[in-house]
Amino acid sequence: MSAATRLAASPDTPSAVDRLPGRALLRVGPVRVQIRRRSVLVAVALTGLLAMAMVLSLSLGTPYVAPADVLRALSGAGTPYDLVVLNLRLPRLVLAAVAGAAFGVAGTLIQSVARNPLASPDVIGITQGAGLAATVALTSGAAAVLVAPAALAGGLVAALVVFALGTRHGLAAQRFVLAGVAVAFALRALTEVVMLTADPIDGLRAQVWLIGTLAGRGWTETTWIAGTLLILLPVLAWAGWALNSTALDDDTAKGIGLRPVARRIGLAGTGVITAAMVTAQVGAVDFVALVAPQVARRLVRAERPPLLCAALLGALLLVLADLAGRRLFAPTQLPAGVLTAAIGGPYLLYLLLRGRRRPS
Amino acid sequence: MLSTRDLVAGYDERTVLDGLDLDLPADAFTVIVGPNACGKSTLLRTLARLLTPRRGTVLLDGAAIRELPTREVARRLGVLPQSPLVPEGVTVADLVGRGRQPYQRWWRQWSEQDGAAVDQAMRLADVADLADRPVDTLSGGQRQRVWIAMTLAQDTEALLLDEPTTFLDLAHQVEVLDLLHRLRTERGRTVVAVLHDLNQAARYADHLIAMRAGAVVAAGPPRAILTTDLVREVFGLDCLVVPCPVTGAPLVVPAITSPTLAAGASSPATGSSGAVPVGEDAPAGSYPSKGN
Repeated sequence: MSAATRLAASPDTPSAVDRLPGRALLRVGPVRVQIRRRSVLVAVALTGLLAMAMVLSLSLGTPYVAPADVLRALSGAGTPYDLVVLNLRLPRLVLAAVAGAAFGVAGTLIQSVARNPLASPDVIGITQGAGLAATVALTSGAAAVLVAPAALAGGLVAALVVFALGTRHGLAAQRFVLAGVAVAFALRALTEVVMLTADPIDGLRAQVWLIGTLAGRGWTETTWIAGTLLILLPVLAWAGWALNSTALDDDTAKGIGLRPVARRIGLAGTGVITAAMVTAQVGAVDFVALVAPQVARRLVRAERPPLLCAALLGALLLVLADLAGRRLFAPTQLPAGVLTAAIGGPYLLYLLLRGRRRPS
Repeated sequence: MLSTRDLVAGYDERTVLDGLDLDLPADAFTVIVGPNACGKSTLLRTLARLLTPRRGTVLLDGAAIRELPTREVARRLGVLPQSPLVPEGVTVADLVGRGRQPYQRWWRQWSEQDGAAVDQAMRLADVADLADRPVDTLSGGQRQRVWIAMTLAQDTEALLLDEPTTFLDLAHQVEVLDLLHRLRTERGRTVVAVLHDLNQAARYADHLIAMRAGAVVAAGPPRAILTTDLVREVFGLDCLVVPCPVTGAPLVVPAITSPTLAAGASSPATGSSGAVPVGEDAPAGSYPSKGN
């Protein structure tokens, strides 16, 4: 079985199998999966960068721990740095990586189904729904353990409202994104009202939640997000393939034997659940779900965001954002959400401007 | 192979087809014609199970098409919708490969048969040279051949096409129709197309279906049914029907409807009464096919 994994067909020997330019066939036993050659390169590169960023994140801070000592601590050798590396920094770092990956997955699914790069959970109201529910929970004196479930429910309800308002003529219509933006603004206004009428201390806690931070969070939140992704793993394996057809119009999709409406519900539903779950655990970290899929798409040069590369890039973005938030103005700590917004906004703008000049 | 029984279909409040019974012959090139909004596209979309009928059934080889799994239907029936959306940045080979969808699963995304079918489809539709080009950079005629190649890769007995020549210039129209004709004669496929041009319909069809207001007015070989009376009844247009000098198929020439046109006309045809029926002795034409 181990030897059965190989990449079939190289570009210089065009066989009948190798009819798809830029693609290769990955065979694992009876399973045959089409993969883009370029996305393999990008995935390997992103994994390497992510590993480096994670070691760096465990290493930097007060006290500084040399990368060699970080690796020794990770290997379980028992070092004087175990407390700092394994107990203080690692939980938060793993959460950043897992949450970033989940944002990347959620953004990819929803953007692809809507065929719109703006249709990301933090633009179309899912994040804002979670934010309103979390704000209500934080300012009404509810138990702290209820904040995340409330945010999860808020995100899901907001998504249902947006889908109900926006899908009269299929998800691809601009109407969907417009409905999402409108709902997002309405929810944000409601959140402001709740905050202003609340006790100032509670309002401040809500404010921090709304920006999104990884500080003081760790294994519990990671378990929830990773558990959700794990349960959804069979769906995600299917989604990597099913996303290929989201660029086709409904009649063409039906013609080749697909059920486009069922497919959209499955893909978008998976994205919504992932987005609501991760937002409930780490707060309203903006832009990762918006930017990661689009940057990954450009790196892979594909017609739609690639699921795995977007997840890796989301993880890398959030790990770097959290690291920068911890170190840039140390000892002042900035929430990761501030950094993702600060990096993500201008970068997306740059990509849009650059993309317009290219002929393709 | 395709037939309808008591078919009622439409959009929202509007009923377009009301109780249609129709049998489409197998191994023939069937062309559906009729004025705008006569229901020909509605009929094609219902036949292709893209539109759910309100009542009645579409039968595929005697079985209700709605009760067959859609993947199985897609292995027997290829569909080219009217002006499909061209996905951005997708290459020709990639798009043609989507036609293999009904034979694939997420754990079996490609096989030797898929590769062979895509190769053959691209050769048949004459787009093999374009394999690595993004579809959105191609001309209208090339795009249409790519879409046809995608439906050919589905490897189905029958092909349904909704106005495959719209938005193409005359040379590209002929190219597409020649391809469909070759599929019928050389590959034995059943082809059903909605066309706007009566003369092209008459030239290529084995079986012509003329529709008006959601009903079939006449159906049969063009030489048998395409007459002045039929054109008047279906389109409300006075015309001459003469044998085509190239193929001998009926050729519809609209009568002069504006006096200013008559002034410059050199033809002796002056009125709507001068219909020339196509007789048995019309020259048996051969369809010139484009050599590769």
